[in-house]
Amino acid sequence: MELLPRTLSTTAALKSGKLTASANLENKIARVEKYDGAVRAFIETYFDDARAKAKEIDARVAAGKPVGKLSGLVVAVKNVLAVKDKKLTCGSKMLENYVVPYDAAVVEKLRAEDAVIIGSLNCDEFACGSDNTKSAFFATVNPVSFFDEKGEFASAATAAGSTEKYVPGGSSGASAAAVAVGFCDLALATDTGGSIRCPAAFCGVSGFKPTYGTVSRYGMADMAMSFEQIGPVAPDAYGCALLLSVISGGDFRDATTAKTVAVPAPNSTFAQPTKKIRIGIPKEYFEGANPQVAKAVKDAIGRFATKSGCELVDISIPAVKFGIPAYYLLVYSEFASAMQKYDGLKYGAKPEANDELVPTVSKVRTANIGKECKRRIMLGTYITTKEHKDAWYTKALKARAYVRKQFDDALTNCDFILGPTMPNLPWIIGEKAADPLQSYLEDVLTVPANLCGLPAGSVPCAKIGKLPVGLQVIGRRGSDYETVSLMAQIESTLVG
Amino acid sequence: MDDSELTVIIGLEIHVQLATKSKLFCSCNTDYQTAAGPNENVCPTCTAQPGTKPYDMNAYAFEQALKIALALGCDKMNDKVTMQRKHYFYPDSPSNYQRTSTPIAEGGSLAGVSITEVHIEEDPGRYDLKTGIVDYNRAGVPLLEIVTDPVITSPDHARKFLEELRAVLNYLGAARDVESGSMRADANLSIKGHNRVEVKNINSFHGVFSALTYETSRQKNMVKNGLEPVRETRHFDEDRDITLGLRKKESVDDYRYIPDPDVQPIAITKEQLKRIGDGLPELPRKKMERFRKQYGASDDEAHALCMELAMADAFERIAKKVDAKLAAGFMRGTLKKQLNFRSWDFAKVAPKEQFITELLLILSDRKVTDKVAEKILIDAMDGKAGQTTAAQYTQDAGLMGVQSTAELESIIEKALAENQKAVDDFKAGNQKALQFIAGSVMKITKGKADPAAVQELLKKRLTK
Repeated sequence: MELLPRTLSTTAALKSGKLTASANLENKIARVEKYDGAVRAFIETYFDDARAKAKEIDARVAAGKPVGKLSGLVVAVKNVLAVKDKKLTCGSKMLENYVVPYDAAVVEKLRAEDAVIIGSLNCDEFACGSDNTKSAFFATVNPVSFFDEKGEFASAATAAGSTEKYVPGGSSGASAAAVAVGFCDLALATDTGGSIRCPAAFCGVSGFKPTYGTVSRYGMADMAMSFEQIGPVAPDAYGCALLLSVISGGDFRDATTAKTVAVPAPNSTFAQPTKKIRIGIPKEYFEGANPQVAKAVKDAIGRFATKSGCELVDISIPAVKFGIPAYYLLVYSEFASAMQKYDGLKYGAKPEANDELVPTVSKVRTANIGKECKRRIMLGTYITTKEHKDAWYTKALKARAYVRKQFDDALTNCDFILGPTMPNLPWIIGEKAADPLQSYLEDVLTVPANLCGLPAGSVPCAKIGKLPVGLQVIGRRGSDYETVSLMAQIESTLVG
Repeated sequence: MDDSELTVIIGLEIHVQLATKSKLFCSCNTDYQTAAGPNENVCPTCTAQPGTKPYDMNAYAFEQALKIALALGCDKMNDKVTMQRKHYFYPDSPSNYQRTSTPIAEGGSLAGVSITEVHIEEDPGRYDLKTGIVDYNRAGVPLLEIVTDPVITSPDHARKFLEELRAVLNYLGAARDVESGSMRADANLSIKGHNRVEVKNINSFHGVFSALTYETSRQKNMVKNGLEPVRETRHFDEDRDITLGLRKKESVDDYRYIPDPDVQPIAITKEQLKRIGDGLPELPRKKMERFRKQYGASDDEAHALCMELAMADAFERIAKKVDAKLAAGFMRGTLKKQLNFRSWDFAKVAPKEQFITELLLILSDRKVTDKVAEKILIDAMDGKAGQTTAAQYTQDAGLMGVQSTAELESIIEKALAENQKAVDDFKAGNQKALQFIAGSVMKITKGKADPAAVQELLKKRLTK
């Protein structure tokens, strides 16, 4: 499915005038109209606004006036990010008709740099999920389900009748799917426990979660606040770097970014080895993984090491086993808190009857929040009550500190950590519906970066059958530029 | 059982709004009292629209909180303060949790009341139960909560404490005007050895006294009659000056506190504390002490003068020109009575300080009597004196001067002639008749006589 034009060639074509912003947009719109009936990535399309913006950019280019860094690139946005006067559904019935009155900080930046925003993308409800089946509206389908070996779209009949519809990963499944199928040049997604890296791996694209506090979350609906970051999804690491340089930087409206400086745009040092680096290969990242996946990733790392001459070190991070329990307990707690505001009284779903306060709020929440979100709210409420807090919440905080310490130690010894992004291949839609634990376990390799606030990305490194495999790169806190740059080096080794 | 055997124990939680232009976690204006309408001073952040986060905490608000903590003499300043989320469902809270900090400082005392701790939090919006309207103009206004130990022994003690607290806040300029609903309190009250009752929704300094007085007598009566007060939360009904048991509990008392992941812990440095401490003004208690020593003011005078900084400062300037004892007595008595009567602060009041100084000068020269001086002051406070000076106004009103003994004697003769019946009554042994005649003498003099001199001359004249 090598359909993707590389980001650099698109930007070059746009810059040289060979491709106008309008023409680029029309190509994308055509693909959306052709394939989104099958892929189901978009919650809402903004074709009119996008066409107006593209036209305006073209006029500026024609007049020789300056344009922004993303000029003419078509960007789609995960629908947990606020785009002024558009629906911000978060994939939930609770906010099905909620029109948000302001732009997220990242959306302001997209506009300022002349991106063409084409629409909003589906996701698991309030980003709670690993496969996009938990959207309240519809499940997005992994494009690999529809494209054959040669990159040809399977006939509609085959597609409809296919029993083998793979999940795109989640929760930002539609962001990765949209990039993979060419609905947009770049996409914005969010990652709380792997929600960018998992779908990037499953759809065969690049995705990057920045260091915690690098990108302003102002305008990103909360899932678990101490874990999440907004990040780029792109056909290649260069696209990630370009988008990251635009969206990163301090913002007084998100206090956790107070001291942040923007990540530089990819320059001449990008994707170039600057020194001999040491790469840690934690055995825990391979032990529980599907053997085919483990082998594919090991092979890819080996090829890269041979070509680049970097040093590989076998390491062990035993605390990985505490990652899932610590992560989920804290996520539940923060999520239950974040979801308090959805009471049906201010915005979103309206209560049916005007009963007493508590039953009114209770009814509207019962009717409009999905099963997985409810599960997390109930568990989060339970473990933060006075009675249970010490046994669960406080312990999980300690476990988090423990995991963080071990990763920091490992990254003192090594410059980067490499391993698989996901322990398994994409599964078929509905396969893991019965048991939420099965689904949680898929996050084992991605949550540590969120627990520790580390930058981490996924690059495609192999295919097993038609299913892509992602290689994960984890860097030191604050080394976002270097981490994406390493992703690009790995990518060029494997592709080239 | 006798009343005096029952000991009352009171603890207070006082919320004061810090004097800041913008809210604690966004840049909206804090003015909710004179805002054009409901939900005028709001933004996505303080209405908790999906996706919003708290801005960096308003550093000025935090500085005001530190100032107050230091002024209360808190001896344990915490070096790290964490914002927490306190969860409860209520329409006045945009996110259904309130951001409230861990203690900023502990220890300290004021007016014999020890302070447990102080912390900073966000004010909720305002929810009108009757109309169902929610106004978020107030949501996010910075509040300081001051928690006292349960050591207050009577409603009167509570009032004295609050008076001094109010004075401290006034000196620091760190809190918003305390009488306009920007101070609220919850109280815990129990009779020693009996159940504790919490009283909520007290919305003024005066309300604290009323609520505690009502609750004290309610609980004492119960105990005297062999009844045990129920452990409960009661609501203060300000219109009726009573407390009412809440009909039913809306939620369980578990706020599921967690540290707010969106707010970084705030560090308090020694340098910061030193800078703020060095900048603190002379506080009311110190000033009272100094006024007693420096000006020979009595305890009452020092207290009355020092409860408001503007008044204390005015006194010191006036005392440079006029006899300090006279000025202290006049300001504490005549002036303060008029201020209280009108519920006015000194700072907001005409007449100007110049007018008062001049009035005191003619009073000290005995050019007017105390009675006339009070009348002139009342006229001036009523705005009748306009731009004229105190001396001029007194002159124009024909009130300048004090009657001489000779003048008084002739007026007395006139008054006796007009009140023959009272003279007869007095001679028949009715002492009250003398007061009546004295009153009519004063009336003829328009107050320009010394009442004591009148009494003396009258007695002399009638008993000779």
